Amino acid sequence: MIFLQNAIDAISLGAVYALAALGIGLIFSIMRLINFAHGELIMIGGFTLYGLAGQPYLVMALAAVLAVAVMALGMERIAFRPLRNANPATLLVASFAVSYLVQHVILMIFGSRPMGIDFLPELGGSLEFGGLRLPKLQLIAIVATIALMTSLALFFRYARTGIEMRAAAEDFTMARLVGVRANRVIAVAFVISGVLASVVSLYLVAQAGTVSYKMGVNLVLMAFVASVIGGMGSLVGAALGGFLVGMLSASLQAYLPVDLRAYRDAFVFLAFISFLLWRPQGLLVSHADQERV
Amino acid sequence: MLEVKELHVRYGNITALHGISLNVAKGEVVAVIGPNGAGKSTLLLTIAGVVSARQGDIMFDGASIRGMAPETLAARGIVLVPEGRHIFGSLTVSENIGLGATTRRDRNQVPADIERVLDMFPVLRERYRQRAGKLSGGEQQMLAIARALLARPRLLLLDEPSLGLAPLIVRQVYEVIFELRRQGMTILIVEQSVHRAVAAADRTYVLNSGLVVMSGRSAELHGTAAFDAAYFGIDEPAGGQ
Repeated sequence: MIFLQNAIDAISLGAVYALAALGIGLIFSIMRLINFAHGELIMIGGFTLYGLAGQPYLVMALAAVLAVAVMALGMERIAFRPLRNANPATLLVASFAVSYLVQHVILMIFGSRPMGIDFLPELGGSLEFGGLRLPKLQLIAIVATIALMTSLALFFRYARTGIEMRAAAEDFTMARLVGVRANRVIAVAFVISGVLASVVSLYLVAQAGTVSYKMGVNLVLMAFVASVIGGMGSLVGAALGGFLVGMLSASLQAYLPVDLRAYRDAFVFLAFISFLLWRPQGLLVSHADQERV
Repeated sequence: MLEVKELHVRYGNITALHGISLNVAKGEVVAVIGPNGAGKSTLLLTIAGVVSARQGDIMFDGASIRGMAPETLAARGIVLVPEGRHIFGSLTVSENIGLGATTRRDRNQVPADIERVLDMFPVLRERYRQRAGKLSGGEQQMLAIARALLARPRLLLLDEPSLGLAPLIVRQVYEVIFELRRQGMTILIVEQSVHRAVAAADRTYVLNSGLVVMSGRSAELHGTAAFDAAYFGIDEPAGGQ
């Protein structure tokens, strides 16, 4: 029974990491940008909720999704579009710059202390299910992740824009040569990435009940690790990596000796390093990178 | 229809084209031949908007298209089948062909056009639902041409369509090119292997080291000593203008 309980914790954390990793992986697959400012998208979602505290929850949630999507588009337009032909290292550094800039603007306005906010406190409870206690928020995280991933998969499989994005991820120049508009697919990728980030913010705020200017940092690092494990550029890989890292992290939390639990992340990163020694290209290798070799 | 004027292109410090001028009239098939490194691919990539020119101009339908984005040019009807085919290997044959129609506004006619190219390339029909990466080299070349045709190109740019293919497949590819020629399509074709390209083309330009060293009607050029000299870059008085 306790095992099942832990399994649900593990899967739900994995689901949240998978959403964050998908957001990062999507941008990387299309424009070779590792967007560390993804964490600040998550944070902006949190602060939008904070700013609208007291409004109906649905209004708060929709506003957060919208604000993060707009923010993602803005990042692309202002910071990344001028650098589109720059090399990946330049793009990476630019994303750090954006990340710190946004963090510090928020720090200047709101200060460094985490601020409390009530967002869907009802989800803090659990459903009793034959002796099993199922935390509502965790269940919702799992269901929401499955729903989002299914719709994304359908979008990439059947929608014309989705197919254009897969083509652009594999061979950007060739995609433009058949007439795929570069600005459009990149903008759509940022919007989707923003929507995924905002869902992560909803979860984080509902779970922790606080927002702070650094709330996205740790998560995005884990999501980055996850997308590397999955194989940079592969979306299925990013999702898979997210689940694996989340599940490992939650399991360590549950099964490590109590004294060692504080060092959980050290064990996660140790596992990550060992994994990279074994399989540096990640679990799934994206087609584009295969060809480049 | 297409007029390239005094085009200069550089990659970093290496100059790839040193002032090339050529033109293609509507309904004409023009070949550009020359040895490896002559600048043939660069020429097509520049016309298609992938590489930017340093000097000179490219006119299409009487208006300058220099500096336009590849997707803008594709929408205007300039369609490139690049060297090495560049099919989308992780996508299915069907998705690849469908992507060819990205710029089409007459969506309702696309299914009929897909049928037409599948009749032209029956192999693609057999493999319609498979991943394009699993196709053989020849099949990939056919897919690349099929994808290009779906755009209903006004100017088709073919970069080394015979590269790395078995002779039988090369013959099939050229049969298609002859068929397109009969239909009146305007084609600019770049080749390293001379004979087929020159046979398919109304006019031929010989490129060497980034310069047009010779040009003229294909029938008059081919087989002359001056032509061989120009192609191989041997210092001999060039004629055939």
